[in-house]
Amino acid sequence: MSHPVVRQLRDFALGSIVAILIATVAFVAVRNRELAAKQIELATRAAEAIALGRPTLPAVHAGLVGEAAPSPKHPYLRQRQVLDGDRWRPLAASGSPDDKLFYDAASRFERQGRAEFAELIKDGSGRAIAVRDAQNPRATDRQRAGSGIAIAVTPPAHPAPYPWLVMIGVLGLGAALAAAGALVGGRAARAGTFAGIAALAIPCVLWSAPIGSTAIVLLAAALALAQGVRLTDRLARGVSRHRGALGFLAPAAVSMLVLVLVPFAIGLVLGFYDHHQGQWTFVGLDNFGEILSGGGRPLDDPLNFWFILGVTVLWTIANVVLHVTIGVALALVLSRTWLRGRGAFRMLFILPWAVPNYITALIWKGMFTGEYGAINSMLDYAGLGDVSWFGSWATAFSANVITNTWLGFPFMMVVALGALETIPKELYEAASVDGASAWQRFRHITLPHLRPALGPAVALGSIWTFNMFNVIYLVSAGQPGGSTNTLVVDAYRWAFERGERYGMAAAYATIIFFILLLWTVFGTRIIRTKDDS
Amino acid sequence: MRARRPHLAWVILTYLALILLVAAVLYPVLLVCKKAFEPGRQFALSASPIPSEVTTQHFQDLFTEQGSNGELMFLRAAVNSIVVALLTTVVGVFVSCTAAYALSRFRFPGRKTGLTMFLVVQMFPATLLLLPLYVILNKLGLLNSILGLVLVYSTTSIPFCVWTLKGYFDSLPRELEEAARIDGASQWMIFRKIMLPLARPGIAVTALFSFMTAWNEFIMASTFMTDQSGYTLPVLIQSTVTEFSADWGLFAAGAVVTSLPVMIAFYVLQRYLVGGLTAGAVKG
Repeated sequence: MSHPVVRQLRDFALGSIVAILIATVAFVAVRNRELAAKQIELATRAAEAIALGRPTLPAVHAGLVGEAAPSPKHPYLRQRQVLDGDRWRPLAASGSPDDKLFYDAASRFERQGRAEFAELIKDGSGRAIAVRDAQNPRATDRQRAGSGIAIAVTPPAHPAPYPWLVMIGVLGLGAALAAAGALVGGRAARAGTFAGIAALAIPCVLWSAPIGSTAIVLLAAALALAQGVRLTDRLARGVSRHRGALGFLAPAAVSMLVLVLVPFAIGLVLGFYDHHQGQWTFVGLDNFGEILSGGGRPLDDPLNFWFILGVTVLWTIANVVLHVTIGVALALVLSRTWLRGRGAFRMLFILPWAVPNYITALIWKGMFTGEYGAINSMLDYAGLGDVSWFGSWATAFSANVITNTWLGFPFMMVVALGALETIPKELYEAASVDGASAWQRFRHITLPHLRPALGPAVALGSIWTFNMFNVIYLVSAGQPGGSTNTLVVDAYRWAFERGERYGMAAAYATIIFFILLLWTVFGTRIIRTKDDS
Repeated sequence: MRARRPHLAWVILTYLALILLVAAVLYPVLLVCKKAFEPGRQFALSASPIPSEVTTQHFQDLFTEQGSNGELMFLRAAVNSIVVALLTTVVGVFVSCTAAYALSRFRFPGRKTGLTMFLVVQMFPATLLLLPLYVILNKLGLLNSILGLVLVYSTTSIPFCVWTLKGYFDSLPRELEEAARIDGASQWMIFRKIMLPLARPGIAVTALFSFMTAWNEFIMASTFMTDQSGYTLPVLIQSTVTEFSADWGLFAAGAVVTSLPVMIAFYVLQRYLVGGLTAGAVKG
C-alpha cells in the first residue's frame, strides 16, 4: 500500500475537484447577482434624474420618451419622440442603436398601466434598462411629447474576473491541512480531510453564498466519513484495476454527461417552475397537478392531458398493428420461392424508408389538402365526394395514420424477412409430410420463428411511433382544434407556441419520460415473455 | 419457402396485390417528381403522376432564390446542412470509437448499466431534451449557431454510434488482439494499430448513418435556427409550403435535390441498418 500522505492527497484531490466546481458555480451566481443589482440601480438613478428634468449620469444613455402618435408620413406607424441629450427627434430604426429598446420599453410601460420597472436586458450583454414615470416634464417638453416616460439604458457590464489567486491559495491551504492530518495519522487524518475540504468553503462564505458554503462543508464531512469506512481506498483500487476501460470510456462518458444528463436534470427542475415573460417562479408541483387533473377542462377537450394520452395510445396501437400486419404479410409473400422478382419487390417496398420523413409528411400533407389534393382528385375520379380531411377528428387522425403507415411498414417487413430466412426448410417439409395444413404450418412453425425478431422490433417500433413528431406536426398539425396532437407534439406546443409556458412543457416532458420508462421496463417485458413461451 | 407451385389463380392474385401495393408506395414519390418538373405553384391539379408539361423552372428558382441580403438561399442552407451533419458525424464517431471498444472488450463494474444508458438515451426522443437545450443555448447565446445545433445533434448521434460500433467490434475476432498482447503491445497500441483499421468498414457505415440522421433532422433545426441565415435544408424546404404561402413546385424541386443523395446512400447501406438496430434492441 502506498504512503498515507499520498493516499490522503489523492482523496483530497478528489474532494477538491467537486468543491471547486461548487465554489465556481456559487461565484458565477453571486457575481451575476451583484452585477445585475449594480446595473439596475445605475439605470434607475439615471431614469429618475431624467424624470426630474436633471441631466443624465455619465455613460448611461437616457432620454425622455413621448407618447405614441401616428407618423405624419405613414399614419399606420405609431411614432414616438425622444428628448435625447438636448434635442427632440423621432425614435426610428435609423436613429441610435438603442431606439428600439426605448420604443419597446415605452410601449410596455403604457401597456402595463404605467407601472415603473427596472431589469437586465435579456440579450446577455449585461445592460440594464429602467423606466420611470415623468409626470411633470417642463412645459416645453410637455407640449412636445404629452405625458413623458423617462428611460435609461446602462452600458454593457463586464463581470469581475475569476479569482484564480484566491482559489489557488485556499487549495494550497487545504492540501497542507489534509497532509498534516495524514502525518499525525489515525483520526487526525480524517479531521485533516474535513478541515482541508472545508477550507475551500472560505471563498463562498466571503461571497456570502450560503448554499455553496453548506454544500462544501457537507461534502467535506461525507468525504471524511467515506475515508473512515475505507470507501475511498476501495474506489481507488477499482479505478486502478479498470483504468484501461475507464480511459477508453471517458470521452463518450463526459460528452453524454454534458449533452444529455445535464440538460435532462435541468429539464426535470424546470418542471417545478412557471415561466412568464422571462421570469421563473418556483411553483412546486402545480404544473404536474394542472396536467394530471386535466386543468379543469372536460375530458373531450383537446388540451386535457388524458384526452391527449388517449389519442397517443390510439395512435401508437393503430400504427404498430398496421405496420406489423402489412410488414409480416408482405414478408410472407416475398419469401415464396415461386415468386419472380423478389429482390426488385423488396427494393421497391423499402422506398418509403429511404425518403426523409419530413418530406414524406409534407408530401402527404399536400396530397390531403384542399380540393386540389391528389387524394380528393382520386376520390372525385371514383365518383365519391371530396373529403375535408382536416375538418374532423376521425379523418385528420386517419390522414396521420395513413402517412405513418406508408413510411413505417418497410422496417417491419425487412425484420420479418430476415427472420423468415432463418427458418430451416426441413421443418416445412417434415410438416407437409405429416399432413399439416397451411394454417397449421404458419401457426406452429412460422409464427414461433418470427417472434424473437418481431418482439424487439415491435418494442422499438412502438417507441418510435409514440415519439413520432414530424408526421403529426406537419400533416394534420393537430387540426381540428389541436385534437390530433400527441403528447410529444403537445409538449412542444406548450414551450414554443403557447406563450413560452416552459414550465408546463418541462413537466409534460417529465411525464412523457416516465410513461416511456414504464413502457420500456414493463411493456417490452410483456413482449419478451411472449417470445420465450 | 416451399418449392411446390400453388394454384394459378392464387399466383395471379398475389402478383396483382403486390403491383397494387407497389403503386401505392411509388405514387407519392412519383407525384413529387412530377411536381418538380411541372409548371405551377399548386400541389396537383390532377391525380395523374405524369406531368402534362415539363419545365426546369422550379430547379432554376430553387438555385437562384435570394434571401433578404441577396445571398443564395439554397446554397447557404446546403452549406449549413453539410457543415452541421459533418461536424455531428465527426464528434459522434470520434468520441464513440473508444467507448464502443471498451464496452466490447473490457469487463468492468457498471458496464451493463452503461450499455443500457446508451440504449435508453437512443430510444428516448430528443424532443424531450429540446426545451432544456433551448433554455441552455439561449443562455449561452448559441441559438442560431451551427455549434449549438451540432451539440444538440450529438446527443442522439453518440449513443447511436456507440451501439452500432460496439456491435461491429463484437463481431471482430479476438485472436489478433491476444497475439499482439503476447507480443507486448499496450492496450492503446492494440486499439490504434489493430482494432481501428479492422473496424474501418463499420466506422464508415456508422458515420454515413449519423450523417444521414443529421441531414434529415427537421424539428430541432427549425426550433433553434430562427434566423434565415441559419436555416438547414429541411427548414428551408418546409418554409416553402407554410400556411401563409405555399409553392409546391419549389418544394418538390427542393425535396428531390435534398433527398436523392441520402436515398442513394440508404439503398447502399440498408442491410447494415437493420442489423445494427435490431442487434441493439435484442441485446438490450
